[in-house]
Amino acid sequence: MTVPAISARAVSKRFGPISALSDVDFVLETGEVHALLGVNGAGKSTFIKILSGVYAKDEGTIEIAGEGFDCRNPKDAIRYGIATVQQHPELVADFTGYENIFLGREAATASFTARMDRTALQRRGDALLSRFPVEIDLSRTIQDMSAVEREIVAILQAIAGENIRILILDEPTSTLTEVEKAVLFRLMKTLRTSGISILYITHRLEEVMEIADRFSVFRGGRMIATMTPDEVREKNLSLAELMLGETMGAVFPKKGEPADLGELVLNVRGLRHGRLFSNIGFQLQRGEILGIFGLVGSGIDELSKVLYGALSKDMGEIELKGEKVSLRSPRDSLKAGIFLVPGDRRIEGLALAQSAIFNTTLANLGRASGFAGFLKRSVNKLKSVEYAGRVALNPPNVTMPVSGFSGGNQQKIVIAKGLFADADVYIFVEPTVGVDIGARAKLYGLMRELSRTAGVIVMSTDCDEVHGISDRSFALYKGRQIASPGTIFTRNQLLMAGIMGDAHHA
Amino acid sequence: MTDITTIHPVTDRGQSRMINRFIGRYWLVATLVVMIAVFAFLKPQLLDNSNIATILRSSALMAIMILGLTWVIAAGKIDVSFMQVAALSNMMTAWLLASGSGWPLAALGGICVGALAGLLNGTLIALLRIPPLIVTIATGGICASIAAALGKGTSIRIADPGPLGEMLFTNWGPVPVIAVVAALLYLISWYAQEKLTFGHYIFATAQNEEAVNEAGIPARSLILFLFVFSAVLSAIAGVLLAASLSSGQPMIGSSYFIDGLTAVLLGGMMLRIGKPNVLGTTTAILLLSVLVSGSAMFGWADYQRQIIKGVLLLVGVAVAMRAGRRISSHSQGA
Amino acid sequence: MHRHSILPTGLGRSLAFVTLVIIIGAAFTAVEPRFLSTQNIAAVTRHMAANGLAALGLTFVVIVRKFDLSFAGTACFAAMTIGFLIAGGYDLWLCILIGVLAAVVVGTFNGIAISYFGLPDIVTTIATGSIAGGLAFLYSRGRTIFQNFVTSGILDLNDARILGYSVSFFFLIALYAVAWVFMHRTRYGASFYATGENPVSAYFSGVPTKFYTMLAFIICAATSALAVVLILAESGTADTNEGANLLMPAYAGVFLGAALLGGTSVLATLAGTFLITMLLDGFSLLGVPYYYSDGVVSLILLAGVVLFDARVRQLFADLVSFVRPSTQVRENRT
Repeated sequence: MTVPAISARAVSKRFGPISALSDVDFVLETGEVHALLGVNGAGKSTFIKILSGVYAKDEGTIEIAGEGFDCRNPKDAIRYGIATVQQHPELVADFTGYENIFLGREAATASFTARMDRTALQRRGDALLSRFPVEIDLSRTIQDMSAVEREIVAILQAIAGENIRILILDEPTSTLTEVEKAVLFRLMKTLRTSGISILYITHRLEEVMEIADRFSVFRGGRMIATMTPDEVREKNLSLAELMLGETMGAVFPKKGEPADLGELVLNVRGLRHGRLFSNIGFQLQRGEILGIFGLVGSGIDELSKVLYGALSKDMGEIELKGEKVSLRSPRDSLKAGIFLVPGDRRIEGLALAQSAIFNTTLANLGRASGFAGFLKRSVNKLKSVEYAGRVALNPPNVTMPVSGFSGGNQQKIVIAKGLFADADVYIFVEPTVGVDIGARAKLYGLMRELSRTAGVIVMSTDCDEVHGISDRSFALYKGRQIASPGTIFTRNQLLMAGIMGDAHHA
Repeated sequence: MTDITTIHPVTDRGQSRMINRFIGRYWLVATLVVMIAVFAFLKPQLLDNSNIATILRSSALMAIMILGLTWVIAAGKIDVSFMQVAALSNMMTAWLLASGSGWPLAALGGICVGALAGLLNGTLIALLRIPPLIVTIATGGICASIAAALGKGTSIRIADPGPLGEMLFTNWGPVPVIAVVAALLYLISWYAQEKLTFGHYIFATAQNEEAVNEAGIPARSLILFLFVFSAVLSAIAGVLLAASLSSGQPMIGSSYFIDGLTAVLLGGMMLRIGKPNVLGTTTAILLLSVLVSGSAMFGWADYQRQIIKGVLLLVGVAVAMRAGRRISSHSQGA
Repeated sequence: MHRHSILPTGLGRSLAFVTLVIIIGAAFTAVEPRFLSTQNIAAVTRHMAANGLAALGLTFVVIVRKFDLSFAGTACFAAMTIGFLIAGGYDLWLCILIGVLAAVVVGTFNGIAISYFGLPDIVTTIATGSIAGGLAFLYSRGRTIFQNFVTSGILDLNDARILGYSVSFFFLIALYAVAWVFMHRTRYGASFYATGENPVSAYFSGVPTKFYTMLAFIICAATSALAVVLILAESGTADTNEGANLLMPAYAGVFLGAALLGGTSVLATLAGTFLITMLLDGFSLLGVPYYYSDGVVSLILLAGVVLFDARVRQLFADLVSFVRPSTQVRENRT
């Protein structure tokens, strides 16, 4: 029996009166891929941060490869052979892959006066890369790389240090497509074979079954179970229930009925934007949710922006409630009655330092103000409270800065903003990225509720999401619209349509 | 802020991009050559030995003053206090001389107050992380006040310009010794910038300070050093100016302010586009000096040159933006 | 990350500010009883007007998260334009109107270049400031203009009193009141804040962010022209560097106010400007020479920014929590 890579006993951590971790026992075997699961705030991040030296534990013992672990900062952690890749790794955008991998390690000793030997960096980078079955051109700059290439650079950077034995990956797949995920998993498997143990956090449960040797579930600051995917299959357990600690109802609300269908609100014909997509056409009625599935780079992001006026179309027509519209900016779209819930809510959706009232009213300042542009402050507050109630904002505090809310609740504020904008068409892009499983069902329920009075489009790189929430759907594959061979897609047909561009072979 | 959003394929790369790159890299050198040619054609005395020496001498002083500034801006920060730091060290030197100390002590005193100002800048910016523009506006104000106070509001005469004065006015042919010193300094700096990790880290810091920190590089120390270095070099220039003018002038820096920033920023528009670098700064300084010298021969007034410099800076920024632009504007909400 | 701070926010900060003013006022009065005389208070309020106007415009630029270093040069240009027109015998209000329009042209240029063409704000405004400062020389080749100033009525702007206070002070208060209502009670103010806080989300919310960014630069140029009108009225002549002294106090007012009240806003700028003017006035009553004024303003700015900096406050909070650990709640969200 080998010594485990990490062996933790009775680890606890408190932040003031709040107990973030209590009495956690954990073992990471050498050379295994071990997933950590849990909803936001369950304690898995705190645990990871203790291991990577960001926090110090309050109680308990940790041994790394049998050796006592006394770690005060991230540098110490690296000395113990533990490297961490953050969810959004910090890379220098206009440096090459080589330069990023060896940033700070260009020479034997870190100093400002070492010689910059770029050919040596290249040689070392190629040597490192040759150990893994991934193809990547490291001479390109980070800004020219795709999401998975950046992740690979970040991982190579993490393991380029000497004797790294434990690699911690924090949600490495959150921005990756199915195909890219496969590349990353291949890399992870090779790392495992070369004796590096991997600890990784994810929100995507199906991945756990696919890549993890074992996994541990955190709930309320405690580690409640460690098991293998096989055990889960045998006992037919639900990971989501384990994480939530309660039987979960259906994540997705009931589909719409044909009787719910109303007026034709959106009619799109022959839409094209550069080389990114062409000849897109669909119709949307009130009372239904239309799903569009596509990988990153398939054009869904751009399609949403063209429909919202943030990108110009090269060809095609958009009709709203029977009238042809020309959308030159989001301003035009909002006036015409289209609202976009953008994929990156922190960058595109919210003014984080401002209150929920400010954010709720921002997309429809015309409605929020009266004579000479004066804001109707009391009305706005009442409306914000009303919408906060409708979206079940928690805590229901509309004057607090939105940066204080969790990811799921921030998304609810964006939806409240949409309610205030009073649109006829709501477009959701990646609505549940960074939203934990507990809050997802609520968001899906809200989308269904919105669809009672408006047309809703959901665009996502998550096939299950698109299939689960929508009444009708199509896929986008390399800018091409792939329609269902039958009346509606099955889940597998939709997946194949998005990944292969062909639904027939599913 | 490096966004991890998708980057869209850029159309029409290839040839036009190559041309853009070339223009972006070398347009400043070309402008310099053309400007010298035109002025020399119209006013041949521009290329007289004595005039070349004058141009090189003023360029050298300017070059010493803004070498550090070049790297501060290359690291993504800004320092608008450099000219007041020069004025302070200039006045401090003159004041020490006037109170009876010798040149070595006076020069050292001038450089030390400069270093102190740099330390203040660097500490507030690197350690307390207060916006550089605010900090350096304030330290600049403090330095200007102390400089004026040293002379009770007026200038201080220096009786003997000392060995520095002698050195400043020694020429080897048309080349003043000080220009050789400045050239050597720039050569060493170029080496540090291009061939050592030092320069590599400066450019990395400008792009993503967090990444530099996470890579275990002490970015804070680097920034602290850059501000101290910038202030010390400005102070050295201030001491040299004291010897050159035989007086301490409390307002000395004001003419250097716009020129210094123009030179660094214009220089940042060549070679490494959008990144100040020592070769770019050198070229831009020469360009400005030739412009000053040439336009003086035509009898242009100061303000006319000021307008021309402003226009040059604007055009430079616009050209570099065009040449170096990436098609990612829509992700910024364009 | 939520931080529990021991220093007050909102109302608490305002009270802290008032207390600070009372303490400083009491200290000055103790040393120099004339500080509280009607005459002195009238002087404080009058001096506040010009700086306060320039700071008000800068506030808009800072709220959209940009910097403007051109408004001092722009003010010089406006000053000479107005002086030239007054000397030409035109009606005073027409002169002022055209002067403000001249500044607005520069501001519009800044705004368009920075928001629509995406040029970097600091470099661009340094360049345009330099150009505008150069253009100020065009009217009289740099000579002071004083003709017709006495008969034009401009001096009345300085001398006229209401209830013993200068008319310019009431003008300042009125303008601040309008600006406050505009920024905090109308959709336009909300758009300014949204643009500064997150331009992408503001754009996605239908706010014409580029327009508002441009507008901020225009407002900044216009108020700096208004500020220079008051300076002209006080000095009774137009000089080419009439507006140059506006830069420092304006930045100090905006950032000191932001540090004191916890964010950039119209009221914060008023508070910052008031505090600075009061201190400057107090020191000048105590006989501190004029050339210390920049240094004093700078020191106050630095002290304010450092002492009220979130991290320094966090340090205090940590110290307190060291004594009473239960007060510290630093929750970390995943």
